[in-house]
Amino acid sequence: MADAAIHGHEHEDQRGFFTRWFMSTNHKDIGILYLVVSALVGFIAVSFTIYMRLELMNPGVQYMCMEGMRLTAAGIGECTPNGHLWNVLITGHGILMMFFVVIPALFGGFGNYFMPLQIGAPDMAFPRMNNLSFWMYVAGTTLAICSVLSPGGNDQLGSGVGWILYPPLSVNEGGMSMDLAIFAVHVSGASSILGAINMITTFLNMRAPGMTLFKVPLFSWSIFVTSWLILLALPVLAGAITMLLTDRNFGTTFFDPAGGGDPILYQHILWFFGHPEVYIIILPGFGIISHVIATFSRKPIFGYLPMVWALIAIGALGFVVWAHHMYTVGMSLTQQTYFMLATMIIAVPTGVKIFSWIATMWGGSIEFKTPMLWAFGFLFLFTLGGVTGIVLSQAGVDRAYHDTYYVVAHFHYVMSLGAVFAIFAGIYFYFPKMTGKRIPEWAGQLHFWAMFIGSNITFFPQHFLGRQGMPRRYIDYPEAFALWNQVSSYGAFLSFASFVFFFIVIIYAIVAGKKETRANPWNEYADTLEWTLPSPPPEHTFEILPKQEEWDKSPAH
Amino acid sequence: MPYIINNEEGASKAATIELWPYSSLKPKGFAFFLSATFALITIPLLNVLGTRVFWGLFPFLFITLTAIWFALKKSLRDRQILEQLTLYKDQLVLIRQDPDGEQKEWACSPYWAQLRMYDKEGPVANYITLTGNGREVELGSFLGEDERIKLFDELNRLLKKLNGNP
Repeated sequence: MADAAIHGHEHEDQRGFFTRWFMSTNHKDIGILYLVVSALVGFIAVSFTIYMRLELMNPGVQYMCMEGMRLTAAGIGECTPNGHLWNVLITGHGILMMFFVVIPALFGGFGNYFMPLQIGAPDMAFPRMNNLSFWMYVAGTTLAICSVLSPGGNDQLGSGVGWILYPPLSVNEGGMSMDLAIFAVHVSGASSILGAINMITTFLNMRAPGMTLFKVPLFSWSIFVTSWLILLALPVLAGAITMLLTDRNFGTTFFDPAGGGDPILYQHILWFFGHPEVYIIILPGFGIISHVIATFSRKPIFGYLPMVWALIAIGALGFVVWAHHMYTVGMSLTQQTYFMLATMIIAVPTGVKIFSWIATMWGGSIEFKTPMLWAFGFLFLFTLGGVTGIVLSQAGVDRAYHDTYYVVAHFHYVMSLGAVFAIFAGIYFYFPKMTGKRIPEWAGQLHFWAMFIGSNITFFPQHFLGRQGMPRRYIDYPEAFALWNQVSSYGAFLSFASFVFFFIVIIYAIVAGKKETRANPWNEYADTLEWTLPSPPPEHTFEILPKQEEWDKSPAH
Repeated sequence: MPYIINNEEGASKAATIELWPYSSLKPKGFAFFLSATFALITIPLLNVLGTRVFWGLFPFLFITLTAIWFALKKSLRDRQILEQLTLYKDQLVLIRQDPDGEQKEWACSPYWAQLRMYDKEGPVANYITLTGNGREVELGSFLGEDERIKLFDELNRLLKKLNGNP
């Protein structure tokens, strides 16, 4: 029999620094670790692009030379273009951003921290597995960075095959860099799958009594749908890249026509994973944005149930549209017609979400605090990216736009601007909760405006470049594209400056920021369970089941 | 409510109380989630049916499906705690079954048993204990706060009735 324990139960936090941060099984600490590591990796991946934008600022090659990388422009005749270096940076940026920055931040960071809190669970279902997921993510990141620095193709460092790792390019790339990249993706995939299993189990089995599925807050729902997508999509990627690995190293011919394989099949499998991947990236962002908009409009979210079903529908449709990434590989007209229609249908659930957010704001008393600004920015930019998505979804139009800067502009609008703005909205929204400190309002606003203007100047002109016919993935371009490339580069520098400023602000706020100890620093429309806890929350939360009236605010969240 | 009270006015027994922790995943939900996952995870396999690539994908999909199955099962099993309190006319018997199969027992005469509720001092609010036979044992520490208050009132009433002073 469990003997009674009275007076013997003190919730003192006695962990040392090392124990707390390196051996943590606490979902809140692991969430913060995910956010910190993904911010650092994000900084690396962004620096790659800044260097690339520097190179693209003027026609001709001035920085990425065979003679060595330069930080100042080379004079005429001093520089032999180094296309391999360019390709390596493109690949590194893609792999890091897709696997090691946005998903860990939104899913690993915010998901770990807030999903258990929102459903009133004391921790994740498998806390030690959670720790394993995090460290596998760190190991994967290390491998990815090693891949950039180790011997690769063209007798240079790193491999430049693009993040999609298409064969035969990836199979023929020399050196061990490519293998390291494959391992990196493998390890990060395993980490995500373990994380997803953990999240699903937590979500399904550890909800507070009375919290039926359709009473769960939208962010937790988005994390659940995301986990489900990860569970279904990432094993497919793991299989695909394992076959790449054996094709490279053990002479199998899964994707080699000479041995009866089919390289196009790799593209199908990759995009069967790759398209859900973009929803894996954006869905948790949708969840955060829903809470931010409801809070700062002082209204419950409009149409909770359609919002949930839209999440599910976007997730489901994400699995049946993959071939719109490869209209040009020679599919039959019927196949293209199907993928085109299916793709366009995604606009319906996405539209439900966009209009529900607008309807939430309608008639609300909107406060333009920093998180709300980011949510506004998200709404505008994501919608813009969605509209160019509809343009690109048409197989005929895509013939012209395929592999041009129009595509680059499109996916950066939805991901770089959509998902990243959602991350920033989440950081400014939850920072007081996570740290008990406040970020100065002016700093947040300055960061927002610099980033909003900067990223629009970066990516909007790329639509023009795409329409002029400038192809992606090249180190150089003819004079005719010079103007908008220059503008785009200036925008990139402004965004980068705002990003550096953000790091400074965060460090300042943690070290010397004003204390914010109120449980809920916003207003009563931030009504999910995490706002009933003190800021920052204690080590152990919800060891006692929460009462229904603490979270069940009728009529909706 | 994760407990039931059977008032049995039999010859030797007065009541049985069973308590267990709350799980939000019900058997139906478990079956639905796994079959949906199974159905969806086979879609990529249909694509490559009859090619060698099938065997490249299959192991990973199979491992994932098995893993989520085990995870859900384990999470359900971890919560298989059952506390059974039987109120006989001459004895109180409390049996606790832990998820690892271990069984713990406590018994005491109802006349000497003391039922107590600690509002704040216990590890959880409204902590219920039974004292007797030289031990103090806990009851329903995994329930919600309000549930414990109801349980306490109910148990108090039953004990008083059992001891003949209603």
